[in-house]
Amino acid sequence: MAEDDLLKKWLNNELSDAEMVAFSKREDYAINKNIIEKALHFKASEFSKVKDFESFKQTYQNRLQVRSIQWFKPLLRIASVVVIALAVYFTWFMNDGLIEKQTLYAETTTIELPDLSSVTLNADSKIFYNEESWQDARKLNLVGEAYFKVAKGTTFDVITDNGTVTVVGTEFNVKSRDKYFEVICYEGIVRVVSDTITRQLKAGNTYRILNNSFSEAKSTDIAPQWLDQRSRFKAVPLGEVISELERQYNVKVSVKTTDSERLFTGGFSHDNLENALSAITQPMNLKFEISSSNQVLIHGNKD
Amino acid sequence: MPKDLSDNICKEAAFERVYNKYSNDVHDFLYYKYGAQYNPRDKVQDAFIKLWDNCKQVTFAKAKSFLFTVANNMMLNEIKHQKVVLKHQKLKPKHYTNETPEFVLEQEQYLEKYNTVLSKLKEEQRVAFLLSKVEGKKHSEIADMLGVTQKVVEYRIYTAFNILKTELENFKIK
Repeated sequence: MAEDDLLKKWLNNELSDAEMVAFSKREDYAINKNIIEKALHFKASEFSKVKDFESFKQTYQNRLQVRSIQWFKPLLRIASVVVIALAVYFTWFMNDGLIEKQTLYAETTTIELPDLSSVTLNADSKIFYNEESWQDARKLNLVGEAYFKVAKGTTFDVITDNGTVTVVGTEFNVKSRDKYFEVICYEGIVRVVSDTITRQLKAGNTYRILNNSFSEAKSTDIAPQWLDQRSRFKAVPLGEVISELERQYNVKVSVKTTDSERLFTGGFSHDNLENALSAITQPMNLKFEISSSNQVLIHGNKD
Repeated sequence: MPKDLSDNICKEAAFERVYNKYSNDVHDFLYYKYGAQYNPRDKVQDAFIKLWDNCKQVTFAKAKSFLFTVANNMMLNEIKHQKVVLKHQKLKPKHYTNETPEFVLEQEQYLEKYNTVLSKLKEEQRVAFLLSKVEGKKHSEIADMLGVTQKVVEYRIYTAFNILKTELENFKIK
C-alpha cells in the first residue's frame, strides 16, 4: 500500500490548516473519522480501574502483615536450630562436668558413677554430681531416695538437705524426703551427719530423723525392699506411706477424716494399685476408692 | 512546584504522588496489551507494592520505567506460568441507547468486528493505537512509556489504523 502521508499526518495531529481542509474533503474521511470515534468504546477505564491510593495503602499494609509473618517463621526456624545447636554444644563441650540424673513418679533407675560405684534411684528422686572432679572428691547431691553401692576408694559423700552421709566403700540406702530422713547401712560403715547428730552406722543400723525427732533402729534386710518392687515401713506415719505410694504409682491420694500421723508397719508391692491400697488401708481400718483419673480417696470406715 | 527528582519516594506523600501519576497509565497499558484476562488491576497493585518495597533504591525519575517494566514482567510471568497461549480477551464495547433497533444492531455488529480486529493486532500496535486515540496520550509520552522512539510509535499507530480500515471496509457507516 502506498504511503498515505496525509493520513499519517492526520494521525499524528500534524496537519496544517490547509492540509486539514484537503483531508476532510477526501472520500474516505467519514470512514477514517468513524474508526477513531469508535475506538473510544474500548476505553480501559470503562471495564477495569485501579484502586485509589487509600485502598492501595490498605492492601500494602495487609501484604506487609502477611509478609512479616512469612519472614517470622523462617527466622523462628533458624533461631530454634541455633538454640538447639548451642544447647548441644554447651551440654557436650562446655559442660563443666555437672551431671544430673532424675527419676519421675513410678520410675526407678540405676546409674553408674565414674568410679564404678552404682546408685539406684527410687521414684521421684534426683542426684547430681561433677563428673570432672569425681577423681579428686566423690561428692554427690541427693534429693529423694537412693541405694548406693560404693566402690572402695576415697571418701564418698552423699549430700542431702537433711544431712550428709559419708562412706568409704559400702552399701547403704539414703532416704531424704520432706520430713523424713533415713539412712540404712547394709554393709561397711556409714557416717551420717545431720544438724548436731552424728552416727557411724554398721551393717543393719538405721538412722532416722522423722518430723524432727531422731531414732535409731536395727534392720535385718540385706538390701532395701524397694529394689525388689516392694515398699516396707516400720512405724512410719501413714502420711509418709501414702506419699510413697503416690510416687510409685503416679497417683494422687486425698485423705479424709483420718489422722495421717498414725504409725504404719507393713508394706505394699509396686505392681498392683488395688492390692497396694488394700495393704495400707486394711490394717488401719480405712477404705479407699479409685476414681477414673488416677485419683484415690482414702477415708475412715465409718464415713 | 519544583521537585527534587532524586527525592526518596519512601515518604508517603511522595509515594502517593507517584501512585496517582502512574497507576492509571500502567493499568491501561496492561489492559490494552493483554486484556482483562490476567487481571491487570492486581498486577498494577503488585508493581506498586514492589516499588514501595524498593523505594530506597528507586528515584522519582526512575519510578515510571520501573513500574512499567515490573508490571509487564509480572504479567508475562503469570502468562508463562499459566502455560496458556495468550488469547486476547475480547474487549467488551460500551453500548449505545436511544437509537433505532436496526442502528443499535448494526452498531453492535460493527463494534464486534472492531473488537475482533483489535484482538488480532500485534500487541505493540494495539497498545500504541489505543493509548493515543483512546487515552489521548502524546506520541512522546507513549514513546517514553514503551521505551521506544516517537517514530516507532507513529509507525505502529499508522499500521494499526490501516488494518482496522481494511477489515472494516465492509460496514456501511450511518
